[in-house]
Amino acid sequence: MKKKLQQHSYMIFLVSILVVLIVVLSIASPFFLSWRNCRNILNQSAIYMVLSVGMTFVICMGEIDLSVGSVIGFSGMVMGMLCVAGVPSIIAALAGLAVSSIIGMINGILVAYGKISSFIVTLASMSVLRGFILVWTNAKPIYGFSDIFTFLGSGKIGPVNVPIILSLTIAVIGAVILHKTLLGNYCLFCGSSALALNRSGVNVKKVKIAVYALCGLCAGIAGMIVTARLNSAEPLAGQGYEMDAIAAAVLGGTSMQGGKGNVAGTVIACLILNILKNGMILLSVSSHYQEVLTGVILVIAVLISESNRRKRSEI
Amino acid sequence: MKKKLVSMLLCVTMVSAMVMGCGSSSEEKTEEPAEETQEETEDEAENDGELTLFEQALAQVDEDFAPLPAKDSGVKLAAIESTLANSFWVTMQEGYEDAAAEYGVEIDVQATDSDTDTEGQLNILENMLIKDYAAIAVSPLTGDCLISGIVNANNEEVPIITTGNEVDAEALKAAGGTLAGMITVDFKSQGEMGAQYIVDNNKSDSKKVAIIAGNEGGTQADARRDGAKEAFEAAGYEVVAVEQCDFDVQKAYDAAAAIMEKNPDLAGFACGNDDMALGVVKALQEKDLKDQVMVVGVDFTEEAKEAIAEGTYDATVAMSPYLMGREAVIMMLKALEGQEVSSIGDSTPMALVNADNVAQMSDWH
Repeated sequence: MKKKLQQHSYMIFLVSILVVLIVVLSIASPFFLSWRNCRNILNQSAIYMVLSVGMTFVICMGEIDLSVGSVIGFSGMVMGMLCVAGVPSIIAALAGLAVSSIIGMINGILVAYGKISSFIVTLASMSVLRGFILVWTNAKPIYGFSDIFTFLGSGKIGPVNVPIILSLTIAVIGAVILHKTLLGNYCLFCGSSALALNRSGVNVKKVKIAVYALCGLCAGIAGMIVTARLNSAEPLAGQGYEMDAIAAAVLGGTSMQGGKGNVAGTVIACLILNILKNGMILLSVSSHYQEVLTGVILVIAVLISESNRRKRSEI
Repeated sequence: MKKKLVSMLLCVTMVSAMVMGCGSSSEEKTEEPAEETQEETEDEAENDGELTLFEQALAQVDEDFAPLPAKDSGVKLAAIESTLANSFWVTMQEGYEDAAAEYGVEIDVQATDSDTDTEGQLNILENMLIKDYAAIAVSPLTGDCLISGIVNANNEEVPIITTGNEVDAEALKAAGGTLAGMITVDFKSQGEMGAQYIVDNNKSDSKKVAIIAGNEGGTQADARRDGAKEAFEAAGYEVVAVEQCDFDVQKAYDAAAAIMEKNPDLAGFACGNDDMALGVVKALQEKDLKDQVMVVGVDFTEEAKEAIAEGTYDATVAMSPYLMGREAVIMMLKALEGQEVSSIGDSTPMALVNADNVAQMSDWH
């Protein structure tokens, strides 16, 4: 029992931050706990959640993907251009997702076969992709999509926004893949020791490519939601989002060294970060404090997570 | 185990203390600068005895927006700007807050993290709609990014106005949204004012002029260029060259040098901003032609201020983000009283600054 509690102590910590935030904010602002506001928070978390689930996989594997922000912009641009050219919305969306997965695969191939550090590979693809977007769009937004496409970002099924449904579905699928399938096991194992995984007869390169493709796909879905929500493919969409995704994954208990991570933690971390943003506005606090607070929480969280890890390895 | 629980609790209390702490400190902060600036302007008015250009412009705003709304209604307003990393928006925030203090209402001003964070700006608007703000002023980062939020606001019956930047009118109409009003900058008349200054003060016999424009396709750049062109043509001047110099000093310098080679008898240059105008001034100085050719620009930057005071640069057109913020507050309050505001707000005061009045411009913001 005690051991089990210790294993989950970080999750308990995360959940207690979430609960304290909710309690404090609902006392401080009468608007916080309204259904409309809760829906707002979930809706605004959706993009980060999708992005961070993909990032969780890559970080679990001991790698990093800095290109996801640019992939958001790129997939949005592909979808936007196709939509405006008259391609049916569903096909345009699927094409955008396919392109994003291929970009992810290319990242994976360069990391696996090129033996270049993933930081450098994805830093380069981040820059190349953003450059392509600016060249192709001439730095101007593409706008005016069909109702079917914008439904993906601002539509509602019953009382619930479509992005909420999309993001929660992806979080569940992500959790199943990471914790219940062979690919997930390999991904975590690879983060602990790629050499050991290789020795046990698994093709580590293929695992890496698959995981990067998955991360690219998630970024593509995030790009789809952003574009549909704004009804406009902005050339600079997603800029800087990679850092938010990394922060959410790490706050969620994913170790930057790899080998450890869980999707539920990432989801809770996304909610914490977005509740902070939302709460600051409800309390009329300048958004600049929110950045300070995010950083402080991140450092405290990682300190606790790492001290747990060390203690466990001492035992 | 016990130790861990204690440390966890400590963290949690720290976080909650910070949330509460931030909340109270910022509220105090917002009120202080408002009072300070008011005192300053009062002091200056007493010293001079007569109104500075800025005070005249301030009075002009009140005149344009008459009948002014009732004071001390205590309503809560909100405003969303672009990033506060740009001093333009900081000055506009002062305008919002000072005007709100003067009218006895509350205003919360939020800014985006960067000037490209379109989605973040929409999030701020949606979060604000949860609170009981009576009206919201927005400065959209792009023409499209806030449209779904504005439609939501319409459903909640919260009036929305835009300040400075505009939304894509057609896209808004297609989405079924409406704005209560708009505070716009008349970029075209900025161009006209500068060109007119050259026409009015031209001492040479030549009626040849050139235009140094910004980036082709940019709203401000094109409007300033067209305004200058129309003003010159209306006065019977010949525009010998229109060069697109992308607001780049070097390009403006090169273009001016080339234009002077072809047209040594040029009367003046109308430029899309101060940076380019100063590039043109440099080119003319090197050819020793500055005395016979006039140069005007737009913006009123610090550099331009100095150059005008020294007499090397002829004139520029200044606009005031502070007054735009003030106008927005007045417009929101008028809209809440049920007054018609859709037809006002396109006359944000601008001032033509030259060597004669540059000394009076110290309080312009």
